[in-house]
Amino acid sequence: MIRRIGNVLAKEWIGMASSPSSLLFGLVIPLLLVGQAIFLSWILPRFLAPGAIGLQAPGVEGLSEADRFRVLILSQFRFFVLLIPAMVANVFATLSVVEEKITRTLEPLLATPVRTWELLVGKTLSGGIPAVLVAWASAGLFVVLVSVLGWGALLSHVVSLSWYLSLFLLTPAVSIMSFVLGVVGSSRASDAKSAQNLAVIVVFPIFALIAIQVTGLVWFTPLLTGVVAVGLAVCDVLLLALAGRLFARESIVTRWR
Amino acid sequence: MIRTVDLTRRFGERLAVDRLSIEIGEGQVVGLLGPNGAGKTTTLRMIAGIIAPSSGRAEVGGLDPASEPARVHESIGLLTESPGLYDRLSAERNLAYFARFYAAVDVRRAVDRALDAVGLADRRRDRVATFSKGMKQRLALARALVHEPRILLLDEPTAGLDPEAAKGLRTMIGGFRREGRSVLLSTHNLAEAEELSDRIGILRTRLLAIDAPRALRAAQETHVVRVRAVAWDRETLDRLEGEGQVLEASGEEENVVRFRLEDPTRDRPRLVARLVELGIEILDVGEETRSLEDVYLALVREEEE
Repeated sequence: MIRRIGNVLAKEWIGMASSPSSLLFGLVIPLLLVGQAIFLSWILPRFLAPGAIGLQAPGVEGLSEADRFRVLILSQFRFFVLLIPAMVANVFATLSVVEEKITRTLEPLLATPVRTWELLVGKTLSGGIPAVLVAWASAGLFVVLVSVLGWGALLSHVVSLSWYLSLFLLTPAVSIMSFVLGVVGSSRASDAKSAQNLAVIVVFPIFALIAIQVTGLVWFTPLLTGVVAVGLAVCDVLLLALAGRLFARESIVTRWR
Repeated sequence: MIRTVDLTRRFGERLAVDRLSIEIGEGQVVGLLGPNGAGKTTTLRMIAGIIAPSSGRAEVGGLDPASEPARVHESIGLLTESPGLYDRLSAERNLAYFARFYAAVDVRRAVDRALDAVGLADRRRDRVATFSKGMKQRLALARALVHEPRILLLDEPTAGLDPEAAKGLRTMIGGFRREGRSVLLSTHNLAEAEELSDRIGILRTRLLAIDAPRALRAAQETHVVRVRAVAWDRETLDRLEGEGQVLEASGEEENVVRFRLEDPTRDRPRLVARLVELGIEILDVGEETRSLEDVYLALVREEEE
C-alpha cells in the first residue's frame, strides 16, 4: 500500500517538475501574497490619518497608532497565507486529474493492482504536501521580511498561538479541501481551467475570514481558530468521501467525460 | 484461464452485453468481432474487473474479477483502445510507473525486457510526446506485458496504425500464443481476427456465433459454383433456369454465371457435363467460398432483422 501510494506521489512530482508553468505558478502566487501583505502594512499607515480606523488587534495598547494599525494588517496574513494552499493545491489537482482524463491514462491504471483510494490519496498528497510546504515557507519569508523592515518588535503580537494553529491546522485542511474540490471539478470538466472553477468555493470563505476579522466583527482567538479547523476537517472528510465515490473504477470509466 | 457465464451488463435501460458465455483456455487466442457499440470493450472491462457485471459472472484464472480485482490485475495485461501514456514522461518512466504497482516485479529488469520485446529499447529515455502513434501503441503493449501476465486483454490493438506498424504488432500478438498466453482480442479488423485467432466470437450485444474461422465460414456456406465461359446465350440460360440451377446469370464479372448446388462435390461434375452438352465453352469453374467478412455481415444483418 505504502509502495503504491509512494509510486503515485513520485510520478506526480516528476510530472510537476517537468511542467514549468505549474512550478512557476507555485512560486509566483506565494511571492505575490507575501509581497502584498508587506506592501499594505508599509503603505496604509502612511496614508491613513491617526484614528481613521477604530479597530485594533487585542493586546496592542502600548504601541503607537501606526504600529497598532500595522499589527492589524500583518495579523491578516495568517488568512492571506491560506490562499496559497487554496490556489496551489487546486491547480495541481486539476492539472493532474485532467491530464489523466485527456491522455486516457486512468483506464490502464485501473487494470493494475493499485486501489482507487490509493490513487486518490497519492494524488491528494502530491498536491497537498507542496501546497502546505509552500504556505509554510511563505509564512517564514513573511516573518523574515517583517524583521528586515524593522517591524520585528511587532512579531510578538502577530505570531501568536492563533497564528500557529492557523498555519498548522487550517493550512493543511484548506489544502486538502482545495485539492479534493479540484478532483471533483476535474471529474466533470474537459480542461483544467473549467475544473478550477470550483476553487472559488474555498477562496471566497477565506476572503470572508479576512473581512470578518478586519472589520472587527470577530477576532480569531485560538479557540475560534481551532473550531474553524475542526469544521474544515469535517468538510474535508465529507468531500473525500464524495471524491472517493467519483474516483471509483466504474465511475471513472463510465461517467467521466 | 478466462470463463464467462451469462455475463450481462446494463447501463440504465441500455443493454450493453447480454448473457455472454465464452471460455478461453491456456495458449488460446480468441477474437471478438463486432460493430461499434456491440459490447466488446464493456466485455473486456468486466473481465478485467474495471466494471462490474449487472448479472452473470466472469472467472479469470479461477478468480472473480468483480470481488477480487486486485488479485486478477496481478495476472492480466490490458491494452486499452487508446494507448493512455504520460506524454511528459519518458518511455521507461511510463513503464516503471506501472511496473511498481505489481508486488513481485523487479522493475528495472521488467522495463528492460518489455522495451526489448516491443523494439523500443533505443528510445527508452525519449519523452512519449515525441513518439509516433505506432510507437505509442507498442509502448502501451509493453506496459501490458511489463509484469509478464499469462492473460492478455487487447482492445483494438491495431486501430489507426499504418499497415507496417499494424503488421509488426500482429506479429507480436501472434507470438503470445507460442508463449502459452491466453489472449482475448477485440477488433473491427476481420483479417486480423482471422490471422490471429484460434476462435472468433461475433458479438452484437449477445454472442451471435463463436468458432474457429474456418468452421464459421463452413457454417454459413452457400454451395455456390461460379462458371466463366466464352459466352452465354439466353436460350441456354433459360433452359438452365428451368432446371432450377441458375442462381444469378448476370453479375459484376463478365460471362460469369453462378449456380447454387445442393452438394458441390457431388453436383459439380454433373453441372459441367450438362454445360458441355449444351455447347458452352467453359473457361473456368470455381466454388465460391465465403469470406469471414461475408459471414460476419450475414450474422450481424440477421441479428438486425
